[in-house]
Amino acid sequence: MRRWARVAVCAIGTAIVAAPAIAHHSFAMFDTTRKVTLAGTVTMFEWTNPHAYIELDVPDEKGLVKHWSIELGSPSILMQGGWKFKDLKYGDKVTAIVSPLKNGQAGALLSTITMPDGRVLGNGPLPAGGGRQ
Amino acid sequence: MKIALRAACVLLSGAFVQAQAPAPPDLTGVWSPSNGARVADTALRPPPTPLVLKPAYAAPYEARRKVEAEAAARGEPIAGGAVACVPYGMPRMMAVALYPIEILPTSGQITIVTEAFSEVRRIYLNKPQPPIDDVPPGYYGHSVGRWEGDTLVVDTVGIKTSVPAYQNMPHSDRMRITERIRLAAADLLHDQITIDDPVVLEKPVTYTLVYRRMPGYEMVEFVCDNNREFIDDKGGTHLKLRDR
Repeated sequence: MRRWARVAVCAIGTAIVAAPAIAHHSFAMFDTTRKVTLAGTVTMFEWTNPHAYIELDVPDEKGLVKHWSIELGSPSILMQGGWKFKDLKYGDKVTAIVSPLKNGQAGALLSTITMPDGRVLGNGPLPAGGGRQ
Repeated sequence: MKIALRAACVLLSGAFVQAQAPAPPDLTGVWSPSNGARVADTALRPPPTPLVLKPAYAAPYEARRKVEAEAAARGEPIAGGAVACVPYGMPRMMAVALYPIEILPTSGQITIVTEAFSEVRRIYLNKPQPPIDDVPPGYYGHSVGRWEGDTLVVDTVGIKTSVPAYQNMPHSDRMRITERIRLAAADLLHDQITIDDPVVLEKPVTYTLVYRRMPGYEMVEFVCDNNREFIDDKGGTHLKLRDR
């Protein structure tokens, strides 16, 4: 087992990025060319399939709160990136960088997030060699 | 004496033949298509052959792809079945995004379970394949397999025509999928897939999925019970938002 693990780690270390398999579905409803920062308070964290969601209250500079629904990958994909199902709860303060919906509604796709404990997590496996590969 | 010698020779040659036929490789375990696709050695990632549809199918296929591209640019991508939590079926289930597959050989059967949508297909070993018309159409069809040396050769028929195939190509009920599954290197699995459909394709198309073993990985549950994406009456995908 240990030997296989070494082989796997070596291969990942020398990996190059290639289009692997078919995607679960298109993410074209999000504008992935844009990145918006949302600093706010978690109202709900749904650890569900086919996607996890963070519901976030985001106050503007005048204190007016706008609510956002943020889509993440599935639990499997998130776990490959180091997420755990209890990572977020009601009231947690986070800062998320997201790609908003193209239609202008308050929905978005997560890019990265700074967690209450300061960890920065992505929306899937960490770069080469990281995460639960 | 002569008879005894002959008998000994027969026994020895039998043993020799047995020694020449090594046990098939053990494919048991969890395999990642995405880690496999990132293998640096291009010799271990054979390129696909071109997908060539017959003219009657090529034009609508290209037209559909154009409509899909336009819808995606608008931010309303045309939904595939997965958006409605419909499973992929064969052959697309064999490589979905970052989701691994688990291969479970048992006596006379090899079972493959995918993490995405928890799909299951069963490959019956050393059994004859019934005629296509005797197989009820489904997402996984009917698969039989046999070992040819170190390669598991799998024949699958009976995929519903509503289940999209490679690159979302259309297919008829005559589609036949042949897989040649083997260890291409230590912990590296190849599934060379050939799709033949004399109704839709000018010639068979072949592509190879590459998997890397995931030692110790425990498959994650995937039950599609919180689908917040929905499909409008034009087939576009949208996200259900919440107020709080």
